[in-house]
Amino acid sequence: MTTALQPLLLLLPALLLVAGVFLWPLLRYGWLSLQASSVLTGLVPVPNGGANWQRLLADGRFWQDAAQTLRFAGVSLALELLLGLALALLLHRPLPRRGLLRAAVLLPWALPTTVMALGWRWILNDPHGPLNRLIQGLGGNAYGFLSTPATTWLFTVLADVWKTTPFVALLLLAGLQAIPAELEEALVLEGAGPLQRLWRLTLPLLAPYLLLAALFRLAQALGVFDLIQVLTGGGPASSTESLGLYAYLNGMRFLDFGYSATVMLGMFVLVLLLTAAVLLLQHGWQGRRR
Amino acid sequence: MKRPPHLLLLLAALLWSLLPLLWQLITSLRTPEALVAPTPAAWLSGWTLANYRQVLLGDPPFWRYLLNSALVGAASTGLTLALAIPAAYGLQQQTLRLQRLLTLLLLAAAMFPYVLLFLALLELARLLGWGNQLLALAVPYAGLSLPLAVLLLRAALADLPPELEDAARLEGLNLWQRLRRVLLPLLAPAIASTAILVFLFSWNEYPIALTWISKAELLTLPTAMARIGGSSVYAVPYGAYAAATVLGSLPLLALVLLFQRQIVSGLTQGAVKG
Amino acid sequence: MSGLGVQRLSRRLAGRVLLEDLNLEVAPGEVLALLGPSGCGKTTTLRLLAGLDPVSGGQILLNGREITAEPAGTRQVAMVFQSYALYPHLTVVGNLELGLEVRGMPAAQRRERIAAVIALLQLQGLEQRRPAQLSGGQRQRVALARALLRQPQLMLLDEPMSNLDAQLRDALRPELRELLRGGGHPAIYVTHDQQEALGLADRIAVLHQGRLQQVGTPHALYHDPANRFVASFLGRPAINLLAPEAGRQLALRPEHLQMVSQDGLPVRLLRREWLGAQQRLWLESSRGPLTLVCGADEPLPEPLQVRWRADRELWFEASSGERCR
Repeated sequence: MTTALQPLLLLLPALLLVAGVFLWPLLRYGWLSLQASSVLTGLVPVPNGGANWQRLLADGRFWQDAAQTLRFAGVSLALELLLGLALALLLHRPLPRRGLLRAAVLLPWALPTTVMALGWRWILNDPHGPLNRLIQGLGGNAYGFLSTPATTWLFTVLADVWKTTPFVALLLLAGLQAIPAELEEALVLEGAGPLQRLWRLTLPLLAPYLLLAALFRLAQALGVFDLIQVLTGGGPASSTESLGLYAYLNGMRFLDFGYSATVMLGMFVLVLLLTAAVLLLQHGWQGRRR
Repeated sequence: MKRPPHLLLLLAALLWSLLPLLWQLITSLRTPEALVAPTPAAWLSGWTLANYRQVLLGDPPFWRYLLNSALVGAASTGLTLALAIPAAYGLQQQTLRLQRLLTLLLLAAAMFPYVLLFLALLELARLLGWGNQLLALAVPYAGLSLPLAVLLLRAALADLPPELEDAARLEGLNLWQRLRRVLLPLLAPAIASTAILVFLFSWNEYPIALTWISKAELLTLPTAMARIGGSSVYAVPYGAYAAATVLGSLPLLALVLLFQRQIVSGLTQGAVKG
Repeated sequence: MSGLGVQRLSRRLAGRVLLEDLNLEVAPGEVLALLGPSGCGKTTTLRLLAGLDPVSGGQILLNGREITAEPAGTRQVAMVFQSYALYPHLTVVGNLELGLEVRGMPAAQRRERIAAVIALLQLQGLEQRRPAQLSGGQRQRVALARALLRQPQLMLLDEPMSNLDAQLRDALRPELRELLRGGGHPAIYVTHDQQEALGLADRIAVLHQGRLQQVGTPHALYHDPANRFVASFLGRPAINLLAPEAGRQLALRPEHLQMVSQDGLPVRLLRREWLGAQQRLWLESSRGPLTLVCGADEPLPEPLQVRWRADRELWFEASSGERCR
């Protein structure tokens, strides 16, 4: 019975489900993106050549959302890596009540995004939210944080950073703990200061973990949906709309499945390109160091 | 002389993490009048549990959403583990080249921004009549969780000495006995980590639940919260849904406190070793 | 035919030959040591005999029954692993009991058998400990107990002493030898430590690069090696290999060289090492470097020359390394 077939059979159910959930949608979108399938066709798919793709290329809102999503992902990612690294360095020391500390740091990551998006909406409420209370208490005037594009964007990034920095920090903390203490001690004996040690030893050895965190977070940030849908609804005036939200609106609100599928594929291509870019950058960086 | 700034920074990090949550707690315990009072003077008055009463006695009562989420979470976790444990074992038996390829694909799937998938999954749900079927959500949730779960368990499996299974084979244990009597007990920590991560994922999942479930009494917590929020976007009495936020956070607070070690090891092992 | 018979056993993996055409016979009660440098195919052989890896060719016969394709679990072959492979989550008793339990042995009989083997290996008092709470020697004994409990028809041991310190190893060797002899089954003992092989085995099989070099008693292998590899692998300090002449090469054991002051091969003393009961001399001669071992207080003659008895000479083909007979 212990044939070569048995391990494959054990693997198969899981692989089939994974393929059904990940691969099938992409194939289906490929087909749907070549169909008109909207309220106009009674949601019955009718081949329409490349009309969806032509529309995508000329769709100002798609490109605007793509730019917004990119900007959001880029800035959040940079902040999360920076703050995550700081937090990891902070936690990578003998600390009292380490478990409790970790739990406290982890909590934002564990909460449902929608729950905390509502929380942020209250904190930013105009004029009764705590933030405006504080401003008023200091003698200022209440501000509509969620009614101007600039501040709305700022707080969307902030909410995302608040929620996902723990993930990055814990990943990097694992990386820090994998660095043998003797290495750092050897550098101390050579007379290197803390900054030199960070730059010459810790960061290079942490690089694979940073890369992994960056790749994970980049893909997730480009797919941002929950936070924006609940916190801003994409507003004001679509200024915070992400590609994920746009694809959702096309499918669920405008009931245009063909175009929604096209937007998703467009987004998928974007994610692929950016991931490849990060990998290439990392490759080049590593090549230069050798 | 190096410690004070360090502790200060740590305190700042904790405040940053917990302050927004603390505000929800305070808000949930304040009367509407206290929340909109022009000056935040009356600190000692204006406390109430009315918000909780309102949320818990609503229609459907709030605990219903918690129950729904817990049910879906348990079903997804069970299904994921049932598929992921054999799969991790099967993967471990493949040739090295195939292992590397599959691991890479699973890693890519684990990173995938899954919001992209909701439309095709919704089509499938309609086709199969799975819309508004609470437990049917466990199927896509398991599918989405499997890549990370398999990677995690395989990493743990690879850490076990191979002779253990050889010894068990020699003693006449068949595949099922080896899994149950030898490998599963030794994988217990990794299984716990995987289970808690899958549970958290399905507890928090939003886009698929949003599109599959429309009946109010079947909503999971994240969709219910979004709906509560959506119905009263700029209404003043925030107290009620701060109470909802707190109630929605409490089970997770408990989970995180109890299982922080497993969560952390799951997060880091799965990602790092994969 | 009782005992183990192995015919033309081979194992190839991904184009690499791990074992080729191995022929062996081991009688019941006999201990055969498989000896060789790492990567020579010792462990491969054990795993093939145990049924843990599939064979690429050849036959395995156990007490007249062909078991070449039989699954590991039904072969009645027991193995002690180098790492002992004790189940870390089970107690000593749990480790012993698992195999009997899955075989469906009634609880009363299990207890009886386990009690007997615990007494035999002096594991009393450790029954409820987990492997992590045992010392190295205790773990080894539990692994041995687990293997003996099976009442196997063939016993395999993969470097069972390599994780123990030297003192413990010396103490355990006679004990282990008695246990293996008394079992009434063939035993194959893999090791890369020749002291262990010489002291423990009835016969030794030397493997090199997947091929069997020679099988025989320790004495035969030492004094009558089949080829240069066996000659130089056995014995420490290693055998002296003199510079080849006319396609043949002379080999001499260090203890077979005698110091004389005339009628010998002139040598120059390079270094001298005192080993307690013996001394070791590094010498240089016209036929290459030589090592000599002799009594510690034996005086060095002047001039220094070495000589040996003609019947101590071992001659090998210079190119193939085969023994010249």
